[in-house]
Amino acid sequence: MAIKFSGEFEVKKKPEEVYDFLTDPNRFAALLPDFQGLAVQDAKHFTVKLNVGISYIKGRADVKMELAEGDRPRRAQYKGHGAVAGGNVTIVAGFDLIPSVDGTKVNWQGESQIFGRLASVAGGLLEPLGKKQIQKLIDGLQAALA
Amino acid sequence: MFAEAPSIVAEEEKKNGSGPWVGASLPRKEEDRLLRGRGKFADDIKLREMLYLRFVRSPYAHARVVSIDTSAAEAMPGVVCANTGKEIAAQTQPFIEIGPDQAQKIRDFPMAVGKVLYQGEPVAAVVAESPSLADDAAELVQVEYEPLEPVVEAEQALTDHSILHEEAGTNRVWNGVWEYGDVERAFKEAAYVVDIDRLHFHRFSSTPLENNVVIAEWNPKDDRIYYWCNNSFPSFAIQFLAAHLNIHIDKIRVQTFDIGGSFGIKITSYPQMAVCALASKKAGGQPVKWVETRSEHMVSSAHGNERTFRNTRVALDKNGVITAIDSRHIDDCGAYPRYEPLGCVIWSQVFCGVYRFKNARIDFWQAVTNKCPVGPNRGYSRMQHLWFLERVVDICAHELGIPPDEMRLRNYIRPQEFPYTTPNGCVYDSGNYPKMLEVAKDLIGWDGWKKKQTEARKEGRMIGIGIGTTLDSGTNNFGQSQIINPYAPFSGNSQGANCKLDIYGEVVVAVGSCPQGQGHETTTAQVVADVLNIHPDLITVRTGFDTERNVHTGFSGTYASQFAVSGLSAVHGAAQKLKAEMRRLASFSLGTNEDDLEFGIGQQGPEIKAKSSGKSINYWGLANIVNVNSAVLPPELYDVTLNCRYVWRAPFKVPDTKAKYGSLTLTYASQLHIAIIEVDRETLVPKILDYVAVDDCGTVINPPIVEGQVYGATAHGIGAALMESCVYDAVGNMMTSTFSDYTPITSMNIPNIKYGHTTTPSPHSYSGAKGMGEGGAAPVHTISAALQDALFAQGICINDSFNNADSIFRALQHREGGQLAELVKLEKR
Repeated sequence: MAIKFSGEFEVKKKPEEVYDFLTDPNRFAALLPDFQGLAVQDAKHFTVKLNVGISYIKGRADVKMELAEGDRPRRAQYKGHGAVAGGNVTIVAGFDLIPSVDGTKVNWQGESQIFGRLASVAGGLLEPLGKKQIQKLIDGLQAALA
Repeated sequence: MFAEAPSIVAEEEKKNGSGPWVGASLPRKEEDRLLRGRGKFADDIKLREMLYLRFVRSPYAHARVVSIDTSAAEAMPGVVCANTGKEIAAQTQPFIEIGPDQAQKIRDFPMAVGKVLYQGEPVAAVVAESPSLADDAAELVQVEYEPLEPVVEAEQALTDHSILHEEAGTNRVWNGVWEYGDVERAFKEAAYVVDIDRLHFHRFSSTPLENNVVIAEWNPKDDRIYYWCNNSFPSFAIQFLAAHLNIHIDKIRVQTFDIGGSFGIKITSYPQMAVCALASKKAGGQPVKWVETRSEHMVSSAHGNERTFRNTRVALDKNGVITAIDSRHIDDCGAYPRYEPLGCVIWSQVFCGVYRFKNARIDFWQAVTNKCPVGPNRGYSRMQHLWFLERVVDICAHELGIPPDEMRLRNYIRPQEFPYTTPNGCVYDSGNYPKMLEVAKDLIGWDGWKKKQTEARKEGRMIGIGIGTTLDSGTNNFGQSQIINPYAPFSGNSQGANCKLDIYGEVVVAVGSCPQGQGHETTTAQVVADVLNIHPDLITVRTGFDTERNVHTGFSGTYASQFAVSGLSAVHGAAQKLKAEMRRLASFSLGTNEDDLEFGIGQQGPEIKAKSSGKSINYWGLANIVNVNSAVLPPELYDVTLNCRYVWRAPFKVPDTKAKYGSLTLTYASQLHIAIIEVDRETLVPKILDYVAVDDCGTVINPPIVEGQVYGATAHGIGAALMESCVYDAVGNMMTSTFSDYTPITSMNIPNIKYGHTTTPSPHSYSGAKGMGEGGAAPVHTISAALQDALFAQGICINDSFNNADSIFRALQHREGGQLAELVKLEKR
């Protein structure tokens, strides 16, 4: 099943600063909900460990992330995939950075595909839960870039 | 739960030991054992040094398997071994494919090799000393996937945009056209032509109380495989397993025991049987047990076929009599064909349903999709087609303003036309559909409901009255497989049975069936009791299948509504053979002519008596002469063994495969149901207000058993029509993989069912009985018809076999866009 998300926010930072933040795994990954750990492979690849819990399905997910597009200071896009409890997940998340009067307007959009028992068993819960988690990430980003 | 049903047989249960027993309402012999929890099921079997297998299953519907790492699992204490698809492929042959041409190139192994093709497909198996250890170890298996584009709709699959089986080069499994009569002319001369754009029969399954269970032991000492399992068509399974495992078929022993329901779904458990045998081999011959969980059953055992009917055109004369049908049917068989593409021909056993039209063209397709493989689910392949025909009849009736009962009477095959030869050469043995309609209308109070409906509609209530007439074709001619593939090695049908007097004179019967609640133990005893003129309680029936009993044939098992005909004919034949031997022996022993003998029960139990002298010999005495006191036997009786095997063969010929013409089934039981349904105006929940099921399965062997199967099939069909659907999302996740989402019907959801019966004995079986038990999915047709009637005034045409509040809501939303007008067009000439 697919969960699509999108939105925008503004921060009082230059696009270059926002871009650098978004593409630094050590700073960006720590904002992911239920973040547990990070292993950086190289400038474009890292693995995040997350706690996942939906109803009685609980476990740890290793999500392999790749900075698939990096066009400083205009756009960054991550692609990721990982095994989570009872299923697999793929993520595509992009950030378009547009200079604004006070700083940078960030247009964000993405899609997550969930496969397996996780989707089958918890399908009805995933979309609201996923959107809630995305909102947490965006709130975290805004706070960190404030 | 059920309304009190009138007894089929008026006579009281016979208690005085005299027959006839066939037709008597004898309590089931199995009941005492099963109701007291004394049944023996496959999972009850515990063997020394038994190991436990757990599958690792794919979360993806379509993905390339990049790597599988079982090392962490295998390193865990208590884990004996692990297997992957690649490892299995290296030591086995792909399973036999029944389909021709490109379908022959499909490589089907019991676990994924290189690619996964449906969510839940096994990719690895872990074997451990306990089920819990196997569970834990399975979680340690690391599988890396590369997702591929999934295909979840059969019509989409036929475009071959994303191909599942690359070696076949296409998703098409089979295609063929059935054409009879003069279709073009019928359309030219039609007074009305009705076009129906799309109808869809949904995917649902069975939820037997007992899931699949396999215990396999590949014994290294004798290099034989021993199975203890609940497969419901073992003689079919061993043919697939022997070729796959490169082992002589006689080296495979399969035993089944009590089985907690199958409904056809357990026919296709042979891939798991293969994995367990190979795991046992790898484990050095220790027995390996696999007990399927409910979640596994839901996503990966087998589902019923899903079918889409496109571009249907119906020609009718000025009286609403259907003169021709032209349609394109697309069947979805899931990821692997397995028992398919037999479903591509099985439907044609009921080509014209219960109707008289002679001109028809059906262009039939089947495709693989990234969904669970299908299996022969109750009503297999025929119910989809019968639902289609019932939808056609109802839609045409509504379009032409003809009441649905009248529409049927104008189109039914008439009673005097039986035996009736269908356009494709099937011979319907007997039936009286107008009579069934009359009985059903009486039982439900048709006129009263019509009045209530009129009143209710004035109040804005949505009440519908629906009729479903259907067929349960039983005892297949496997020669129809040659219509699918001219090189298929199957034809006809047979069943074996053995009837013997044991050393102490006990009558023991063995059959090659695998009963799952159909009461074979009881009905077998009834048939033999009538032959020998003794009480059924004096007969022991060996239940369950065992290859080493040597009573099975290549068609043995329990499926396709056939036991009453094939199984009991074999039993009857074996009992007759035994009786003939007993008569010869008694004639010698009593010194009288065979004509002078009578069978019955005397002072010393079952006996044979000389009418002239009054002398008698009991069964122990007879058995003693042959088995223990054989020196007294004269040479002319040396051939008497009192151990008689009989193989009954159905009188079939191989069909004309080019013309697709011939007798495909021996008997045709029929069902006619009527439902009264109200759709709640606020919640749109459909509620059954009244329900009638009328059944005609010819001569009834045991009325309560027949009634029970009618109720079971009705419950199953109601569940399918209103509650149960295998829903997949766009990427192939099965979204109804638990009971809380799939919502199988329970006793709480089954309405009161009024039961009725008519009898048209079959001229094609020795007893006049017809196979029954599948019910032809009559409730699915009936409920669609009732909902159609309830909602037609709202501009809704029921075009799907699954209807719940949600789907009705969506149809009502779509109504604004002209759902009915988009779907159905009426042309008046």
